[in-house]
Amino acid sequence: MTQGRTLTFNIFRYDPQEANDKPKMVQYQIAETPGMTVFIALNKLREEQDTSLQFDFVCRAGICGSCAMVINGFPTLACRTLTAKYPKGEITLMPLPGFELIGDLSVNTGKFMRELAERLQLWLHPKSDDIDVHRLEDPMDPEEAARLYELERCVECGVCVSACATKQMRDTFVGAVGMMKIARFEMDSRDGRTAEDFYHVIGNQDGVFGCMTLLGCQDNCPKDLPHMQQIAYLRRKMAMTLV
Amino acid sequence: MTVNFSVKKWSGWLDLSQSVSGVMLAVFLWTHLVLVSSILLGADAMSWVARTMELSFLSADGHGYPWVVTLIAIAIAVLASIHVLVALQKLPMSLAQQKALRLQMQTINHGDTRLWRWQAITGVIILLLLPVHLWLIGSAPETIGPYGSADRIWNQGVWLVYLPLLFTVELHAAIGIYRVALKWGAARDLNTRERMKKIKTVVSVIFILIGVASLLAFLPYAN
Repeated sequence: MTQGRTLTFNIFRYDPQEANDKPKMVQYQIAETPGMTVFIALNKLREEQDTSLQFDFVCRAGICGSCAMVINGFPTLACRTLTAKYPKGEITLMPLPGFELIGDLSVNTGKFMRELAERLQLWLHPKSDDIDVHRLEDPMDPEEAARLYELERCVECGVCVSACATKQMRDTFVGAVGMMKIARFEMDSRDGRTAEDFYHVIGNQDGVFGCMTLLGCQDNCPKDLPHMQQIAYLRRKMAMTLV
Repeated sequence: MTVNFSVKKWSGWLDLSQSVSGVMLAVFLWTHLVLVSSILLGADAMSWVARTMELSFLSADGHGYPWVVTLIAIAIAVLASIHVLVALQKLPMSLAQQKALRLQMQTINHGDTRLWRWQAITGVIILLLLPVHLWLIGSAPETIGPYGSADRIWNQGVWLVYLPLLFTVELHAAIGIYRVALKWGAARDLNTRERMKKIKTVVSVIFILIGVASLLAFLPYAN
């Protein structure tokens, strides 16, 4: 049992709102409890040692995607990371790179996701412009529904964006989350957009043809979404519009 | 079916041509190394390979046409140029991009990103060394053979180009083929990807060993 260990947290601290604040790493120590996650430890730290510590959370169950941060070099969800995973008891926490920093470990993923959704038009574009609310929807093949549901599991935590070196080098790159969502609508039989329409938004070097297949998205996604396969699928789809 | 070359399709063509030119160059590279390694079987074997590559079986006097090798060198230069022109667009060219990459790699621990960085670094080295190799071979194709090549490599000091070129090109090609396979969806699941990654490493090691052995095998013929 890991009870009784003292954990050492090295936490990135910086408040951009404070004029004279400079980025620094601050060390905290805390007694480990059974089943402790990084998220639980952060709450305890804030409660007992430093009320100014900033980090995001909502659901504490890996569903809201708010508590993503870089834990010992791997971007992931704090609420799904057990402290027992680290035999040395040393844990370094950094905010997700590539997003606007709100303060300490808190980043503005929401702003990024919203801009992305608007830019790529990440919503269903129905085939018909029939707006009669009484019209029955066409039934969907259960297999298709299952495929779409698989991609709908994305919680917009921002891990894939942070883990992508391409995105860090090219700010306008859509990242895996954008391509995952585009693939989701591309596969949806109710969506009226054609391959040409999708080419228009991601058939460029900020989209699927800029992806260098470094696969940081695939290797770090806390929901284990099939980024590698989806991006390859989109690339083939978009390449097929060339002929 | 019509081929669409309109401006808005260029990024698609560029990405595709990077993959296709890369695969062609890798296939050529490995074939080329296997042919050169005929020196391991002795001078006669290599002479036969060199003669056959010059299409000796088509000429009456059996000497073949050395300029065929020059043509191949030019074709490789063209392919490599296409590959470079497209690949350069993906490299971090500005200081800001290099800083961003450095910061990201310091913060986040990711193996495949490090692999790609090696590919980028080896790519730049190849860009410097390959023209030398192509020029030496393309401008004097008639000297290719156990004695001519040995003289070039060991007496004229060209091993200083060939040795680093061998290491960088074998790393670059194997990583590239691995990434191109993932890029277009050849790995359906993560286990396949793991296997491909292992195969890629084995391929690099085997070809580097063959290459080093071949370079050393030229030594006895040099003086």
